[in-house]
Amino acid sequence: MTIDLLRDKGTPLSEQRMSWKDMVGKPISKLDDDAFTRVRIILMNGLELDSLRTKQVALRSNRDARVQLAQLMRIEQHQATTVNWLIGADHSPIETTIGYEQTAIEVTASIAKLEPDPYLATAYRYALLEDFDHLYRYSALLDRLEGKDANNIVQGYTDIVPARPTVVHHRAPEHDLLRPYGADAPLATKLNALTLTGGEYQTHDYYMNIGPLFADPLARQLYAEIASVESQHITHYGSMLNPDESPLEKLLIGEACEVWNYAGCLEQESNPRVKAIWEKFLDYELGHLQAVVDLFKDAERRDPAELLGDGKLPKFIQFKSHRDFVRETISRETQLRKDGTEFVPEEAEGASSIIYREAVNAAGSPSSTVADTYSWTPGTELMRTDVKAA
Amino acid sequence: MESTVPGQNRTGAAVTPDQIDRMLEAVRELSPQVPISTLAIDVERQSYIVEAESLGSVPQPAPRAKGAPKKAKAKVKGASPSLLMDKLGERIAFERTGSRLYDALISKFLALSNAGEDVLPPADSLRLDREALAQRELPKGEAALDTLKRIRAEELRHLKLLADTVSGLGGDPTAQTPCADVIAAASAGLVQVLTDPRTTLAQCLNVILTVELTDNAGWELLSELTENAGQGALVEQFSAALADERQHLVIVRGWLESLLNNQAGTPAV
Repeated sequence: MTIDLLRDKGTPLSEQRMSWKDMVGKPISKLDDDAFTRVRIILMNGLELDSLRTKQVALRSNRDARVQLAQLMRIEQHQATTVNWLIGADHSPIETTIGYEQTAIEVTASIAKLEPDPYLATAYRYALLEDFDHLYRYSALLDRLEGKDANNIVQGYTDIVPARPTVVHHRAPEHDLLRPYGADAPLATKLNALTLTGGEYQTHDYYMNIGPLFADPLARQLYAEIASVESQHITHYGSMLNPDESPLEKLLIGEACEVWNYAGCLEQESNPRVKAIWEKFLDYELGHLQAVVDLFKDAERRDPAELLGDGKLPKFIQFKSHRDFVRETISRETQLRKDGTEFVPEEAEGASSIIYREAVNAAGSPSSTVADTYSWTPGTELMRTDVKAA
Repeated sequence: MESTVPGQNRTGAAVTPDQIDRMLEAVRELSPQVPISTLAIDVERQSYIVEAESLGSVPQPAPRAKGAPKKAKAKVKGASPSLLMDKLGERIAFERTGSRLYDALISKFLALSNAGEDVLPPADSLRLDREALAQRELPKGEAALDTLKRIRAEELRHLKLLADTVSGLGGDPTAQTPCADVIAAASAGLVQVLTDPRTTLAQCLNVILTVELTDNAGWELLSELTENAGQGALVEQFSAALADERQHLVIVRGWLESLLNNQAGTPAV
């Protein structure tokens, strides 16, 4: 199916209604569904939540669009619920966390490959190596706290090894920023940046909510530490977005972003029930896009083609293992650091980051402690032949 | 409702041998095996344990309401009357959760039986440990649903007995004591399993077995504490509750064995 962002009408807003039972359907099977079904669910929940967030901010600063924004947000809320409630209750919070990090890794790797701007592509690979390291740290926690193997979740698609160690992810805030894309950037660049901003926001919020649910002090520390890095990543990706875009421009890009991602999910989904949800929500989002296109034309007196070009969608995120790309990135770029908006060798890192890092790591590094001597082993490290039952 | 059958489980390493080889190759390169040491974790955990405050306190005896007649409070002997109150609070919490767990189990059973599945035989038709039933005989020919409802009613009766006991000792049965808090935290997974629409009756009975084993040990311990605290009058009532719980345990274990031995491949298993 070829989508035309400028012409396809989708489902009219007035017909977008769901009952509580529609929203609370059958969850996926943690055991039998493909890991990438969970990845898509996590990604789309992140986008729905970011769409709500953007609209709430727009509502505060846009008198004329208040009614339309409120109407759009109601259905986005129910879409987010439908998507997020697909995660089964047998996922422990750490298992879901493993799913979040796998999503960050495989989606970021795909976006890094798709991104036409070389500077932004470097920025994607930069944060990719950090989320990749988080997977290793959380896998150690899952093994050592719950006695579970993270591969039950990642299903062989994603390596579980360290990259740029989490202990050095902590930067002074001024070194988290990036140069934003310009107004004339291709649509693909805008959609890439927004997708990962939403994804990181969701991951951050999830860690902030579940961190205090743990009894174990090491788990509480690790979630505190990595939530802080995810907050940096929101700034990292969020600062890619052009700060001169008007709120309605941001909304229009946001709706196109949801269309693009639902269409990519629909094309690649293996679970028929979940696929039907992607199809339905793709039509909903086309309806939202049309509503925002009308707002854009009325309020800004501008042609949406300025942003949406010929109306064709860029190439989709590829939901598959990017093992070779990630390994290559690890070997080439693990030593990269930040100085302001630039990527620099380790020895040229911004001095204020080193001072900041010494302060936060002053009483130890949770991510180093929890993964000390950890090597991922099928069936957990307790299965290692050198671990003997007394 | 579906039976648990062989299928496309994707969690194990054997499902994706080539990918696992690549993962292990990455491990050899980037985090090669060294002797495992969790010493740093242990040290950190212990430092928190040493510095930790308690979960909270056992409530003070309830103040008498204004104008209420003076009631003679039963005196609790022993070094720590508050310990008995704490453990009574724990039993209250667990019996309360237990009643809700049986509500969930009954829903699961009814969903199956309404769909035409004849899943649980009457308890007295099972091969059971008769010695364990010496103190509380099984009713003859009681249908499984009636047995489930009776057990649920007995859990509730135990809850009321415990609440009256706490009140009689001058305590507040509505308060959450530290041990009540702990057993509730431990029970969170039990509730998750019983209320998940995807779990089978056998999987739920397996969890209820944990509940009943805990109930049995809990009542045994409480009877002993009560006796040591000089509350002889309560011992008889608590022993009766323990006899109920022993019967519950035998029935649940019997049903679980029956399902696993005779109904494999059905939606109940």
